[in-house]
Amino acid sequence: MDFLVQRSDVGEFRRRYRWMVLVVLGTFAVLTGRLVQLQVLEAELHRTEARTNIVRRTPLATSRGVLRDVNGTVLAANRPSYNVYVTPGVIDLETTWPRVVKLMGLEPEVQATLEAYIREARDGPRKMQQTLLKVDVTRDVVAALKTQEVRGRKPRPGEGLVGVDVAPVPVRYYPHGELGAHLLGYMREVDAEDLARIGDHGYRAGDRIGAVGIERRWESYLRGQRGWKKVVRGLSRPNLNPEEIEAKYLDEPRQLDPVPGRDVSLTIDIELMRAVHAAMRTQLAGAVVVVDVRTGRILAAYSKPSFDPNVVSGGSGTKAVREAFRRLYADPLRPTLDKTISAAYPPGSTYKPFSALAGLADRLIDARGMVNCRGGYWYGKRYFRCTSVHGNVDLHEAIVVSCNTYFYALGEALQNAPGKTGIDRLAKVGRDFGFGAKTGVGTNPEAPGRMPTRSWYRRRYKGAFRGGFTLNAAIGQGATTVTVLQQALAYAALANGGTLYQPQVVRSIETSDGTVVQEFPPRVRRLVELDQDHLGLIKRALTDVVADRHGTAHAERIAGVDVAGKTGTAQVSRATPRGVDPDKVWYFNRDHAWFTGYAPAKAPEIAIVVLVEHGGGGGKNAVPVGMRIVQDWENLKAKRTAAHRKSTEKVP
Amino acid sequence: MPRGSDGLSSRSGVQIDWALMTGVVAVATMGVVNLYSATSPYIGAGARAGLADVYVSQIYWLVVGMLAGILVAAIDYRQYERLAYPLYAAGILSLCLVFVLGADTRGARRWIELGGFTFQPSEFMKVILVLVLAKFLHDDPKTEPRTLIDLLPAVVFTLVPVALVMVQPDLGTSLIYLSTAMTMISMSKIRPRAVITLAGLGSAAAFLLWSYGMHGYQRDRITSFLDPEADKTGTGWHALQSRIAIGNGGLWGEGFMQGTQNQFGFLPDQFSDFPLAVFAEDWGLLGGLVLLGTYAFLCIWAINVASQAKDRFGAGVSVGVGSIVFWHTLANAGMAMGILPVVGITLPLFSYGGSSLVTSLIAFGLLMGVSMRR
Repeated sequence: MDFLVQRSDVGEFRRRYRWMVLVVLGTFAVLTGRLVQLQVLEAELHRTEARTNIVRRTPLATSRGVLRDVNGTVLAANRPSYNVYVTPGVIDLETTWPRVVKLMGLEPEVQATLEAYIREARDGPRKMQQTLLKVDVTRDVVAALKTQEVRGRKPRPGEGLVGVDVAPVPVRYYPHGELGAHLLGYMREVDAEDLARIGDHGYRAGDRIGAVGIERRWESYLRGQRGWKKVVRGLSRPNLNPEEIEAKYLDEPRQLDPVPGRDVSLTIDIELMRAVHAAMRTQLAGAVVVVDVRTGRILAAYSKPSFDPNVVSGGSGTKAVREAFRRLYADPLRPTLDKTISAAYPPGSTYKPFSALAGLADRLIDARGMVNCRGGYWYGKRYFRCTSVHGNVDLHEAIVVSCNTYFYALGEALQNAPGKTGIDRLAKVGRDFGFGAKTGVGTNPEAPGRMPTRSWYRRRYKGAFRGGFTLNAAIGQGATTVTVLQQALAYAALANGGTLYQPQVVRSIETSDGTVVQEFPPRVRRLVELDQDHLGLIKRALTDVVADRHGTAHAERIAGVDVAGKTGTAQVSRATPRGVDPDKVWYFNRDHAWFTGYAPAKAPEIAIVVLVEHGGGGGKNAVPVGMRIVQDWENLKAKRTAAHRKSTEKVP
Repeated sequence: MPRGSDGLSSRSGVQIDWALMTGVVAVATMGVVNLYSATSPYIGAGARAGLADVYVSQIYWLVVGMLAGILVAAIDYRQYERLAYPLYAAGILSLCLVFVLGADTRGARRWIELGGFTFQPSEFMKVILVLVLAKFLHDDPKTEPRTLIDLLPAVVFTLVPVALVMVQPDLGTSLIYLSTAMTMISMSKIRPRAVITLAGLGSAAAFLLWSYGMHGYQRDRITSFLDPEADKTGTGWHALQSRIAIGNGGLWGEGFMQGTQNQFGFLPDQFSDFPLAVFAEDWGLLGGLVLLGTYAFLCIWAINVASQAKDRFGAGVSVGVGSIVFWHTLANAGMAMGILPVVGITLPLFSYGGSSLVTSLIAFGLLMGVSMRR
């Protein structure tokens, strides 16, 4: 290049050219440097960014584990809920819409609301946004919608159902409805609070999570693990070959398979639950627990009134859920409360065997000793009433006819024992049988119940402990409260000779293909310190409660049903519950009816506790329920033994 | 050895500048090939399938532009010196016509429709401005440094089209006018005081422009450039995706029509504003260096032609054409690589666009004319 050639009138510019060349070279050096920086030094980073742009991990859904009863009957499973959506900007209101309305049988007001929305939204920003038309339509409707579809070609206007889509959403399905709802629990959508707390466990907005019961406590086993699959976004362009592109841009691993949730097998027997339900048919409210006295396994845990977990789990839409809960919470019979463990009740006379064991252990009473019942008992200046005039009764008789007077005397004896620690002794024996403490069953929040002691009274009543408290505690009244499950376990301990079991509802955990992952053997909580002579005495009395013609349960016994037990009629505080119609207050002031027992009387297998809330007298109202349940249990057992024998005979 | 000074030898000295020709053809060819890749995602893409064929019209415009460039080069460039003022008047008039006849695209009036074609007067004004400023330099052969008064005509010549284009609004083009004019004026000797005053006036104008004269989106582009993290989805998004595309190309490139950033639609305006990103992603550092190297060669070659030009007008035209190429390349490549804000300035001969192509080829025709007659 000849920069130095001088021309007469261009000489002025000459000095600039060198600078210009330098500026050009400098500038392009900077641009080149930047190119090297981006394409060599930072190449890896930008390559990753470019991949992130086009590769997305789409979640692969998992399926929640199934709940089964002791015989393998499914108690909770999953089913698709078919939701119908409409796209306002696409649907033809003149031709398609009327057919949709007819096909799905929309109510006129729902139809009007939706139609107004479609008219408003079809020209706005939401015109391509699918709107929920109807939740959980039947298979018939899905089939009808499918047959209207036009395949393989563009539908003509007014033909097919353009703008209407059906999408399956998995929902939890409880085939037995409200039976066992409290125990099984139900599902709810995760909220912002959950996501903040457990979001790092892979929960996302819109996911469902066990709300209460087994569904909640075993959530981590049941939920499974979502998988993912890498996909290349926007692959719809015709000049791209999807397989080729995926082979090129998707690095291994390309997919993480979802892990299905673990199945949970329960100790519950749903057929027995159905029998309980039938036995409780005439009662408004209450609870029943049946446990196996040899294992502590819960065969039935029933709380009435109940609710349908299918509705509150969200299968029918959020509006239905909200409405259902509004109704449930307004009900004074408290349908959402698990009355087997979440509420504690005064045990009344059903507690007398434990008071008797306390007295016998401390040698304060003699089994042969008599107390003369004239319908009540004077303690100091207070008169404690009995239900009747029983005359001379010994311990056996006192339990059989449920004489309060005998137990008032026992209470006074305990109160007057050295140290005046009578009520603490009662509480100690009660605690030995599992009362006054949570059982740790692990289904729903538990009420611990209460075994009052002197120190409890001092705290509660500012130092004024009176001996009368001990007398009331001896007949299971006063401040003493227990849960239905505690009763069942304590009576199981009486029946099995003093072994207090850990209550058990989950028998085993299985993978979705049936392989057992974990089995839960029965666990003994405590061996109660007991004199077997004393226990034998109590058990004979409990047998006679049903068998003896004076027994409080005798009138309602069923011939041939072999059961021992105790009735109870527990007084309730005369407070008017809030929000109750004054005309119905009488119901809420009525006593609770109890029947607690075990069967068969000679060689016990099950313990059964029936509580009829505000049922009145235990002998008249709770016993028939208990009898029917035991009878049905016997029938079930016979049927199963026969079926078992038949099936084993087939195999030579 | 000085070349001939008489008419005869001057005529016999007319010879084609093959180096310049090669550079221009190389860039234009790479441009068409790249355009094919850039629009390949639209092949068979329903409503937008038409976009896949824009490379064909780019070829048409290349032919038209080549013919225009050859015509311009064939005529002795000194003819343009005499035509400079009438051309300038016509250019200003067409810029005013934009406001009357202009078609509104994306909120700006830049185009005039003429018998089925749309053209952009502001593009042609670039060349006309070079001509008028070259004439100003030609007519004013002083040896002593110039005062502000001496430069006043040149400043006025520049600011009138700058103002008209700014109102369209087209910030990029007005910046090109300003920087080209600045480059050309800087060829002459100027008194230091005049330089300082000009610099002061310039910054004051820039401040006023920022505060009152700019549209929101224009300001956004600059703020998002200064702080790209603050705006990852808006304007900053374009710049970010372009940078990712270039980096994704790596040393050897993803291959022709294989760049994922372009193929999957992450590059906005990939034909006009960000063709460099497509090219660098497809062809890697190798391709990028070839392209940038060609532009650097064209710029330096223009200075070389200027240094050998027969007269001041020729020198001025050469520097003017070179500076148009230089500033466009700097602005566009800087934007694509994320070292300059996003301003809609094309890459000459490379970006899609008829007016831009034809203007560039006419400018190179002028340079060729000067080169052929040195």
